[in-house]
Amino acid sequence: MNAIDLFDLRDHFTRRRILLCFNGPISHGLIEELGNALRNYLTAEQVQPSAVMDVFGVYIELTQNIRHYSKARGYDESDSAVTVVVAREDDGRYAVQAGNLVERADGVQLLERIQQLAAMDKVELKAAYKEQLRKPREEGALSGAGLGLIDVARKSSQPLAATLSDLGGERVFFSVRAVI
Amino acid sequence: MNELNIEPTQSTPSVAGRWEEGVLSLGGDSFPENSYEFFGGVIDWIERYLAGSDRPLRLDLRLMYMNTSSVKAMMDIFDMLEDAYRSGRAVAVRWYHDPHNERVADLAAEFREDCTFPFDIEQDHV
Repeated sequence: MNAIDLFDLRDHFTRRRILLCFNGPISHGLIEELGNALRNYLTAEQVQPSAVMDVFGVYIELTQNIRHYSKARGYDESDSAVTVVVAREDDGRYAVQAGNLVERADGVQLLERIQQLAAMDKVELKAAYKEQLRKPREEGALSGAGLGLIDVARKSSQPLAATLSDLGGERVFFSVRAVI
Repeated sequence: MNELNIEPTQSTPSVAGRWEEGVLSLGGDSFPENSYEFFGGVIDWIERYLAGSDRPLRLDLRLMYMNTSSVKAMMDIFDMLEDAYRSGRAVAVRWYHDPHNERVADLAAEFREDCTFPFDIEQDHV
């Protein structure tokens, strides 16, 4: 087995200005710790407190959504893995990307939901948020397409984007990208 | 027990319910995984307070980041206060925020849109 070229990996992280990257099963405690590190990095980069809170909020919603989904679907540890990356864009904005395995049908539904949210303006997103907030807890809970994604869309400065990657089996890799 | 005291953690706020004074304070970040579990005790305290006397109730809030499930639990709390207010009870909310972080003021203002009881949003002088 070839050794991983650590310098090459480091170079990639540096060039893409990746501040935080995690791949694997994630606990609530780990979400907290990585979140703290993220807030500290952003504060050290002189990011405005409100923007720090938005990036942190998107990271929390996306990772907690994945944990809720994997638990609800009864996934084992390896299928519950979270892939999350936070990077600084060329224009100084921050992108949060998060992905996980989902059932194919859920993936298709999530993709449609992201496309709907991406087509909405701020006023429509606020109305959708308030409407979802008033719905009973059970509705839309399993797909994770509830309040969390609308909140992420509201905090984003660009439309959300999502992709599905086929792994040949019943489960597909769903990935969403938010730019704050 | 009529006093409620919960120490803050990284993802849950401090909670202090002072029955005799009629004041419930919450402060800090709120993003537990199970917000209904966490806020259950708070909601229970408010229910008991409102049912057990006819004295005023004030919420002093210094909440900062809230995840969406905490927002939902908070909305349930404000709905309870709204119902009490509409039945003639004196209830009020004061939400203090860091003047450098307008996002907290935005969050508080959005909650206030659905409330008719006195709801002040003030800059904190710390």
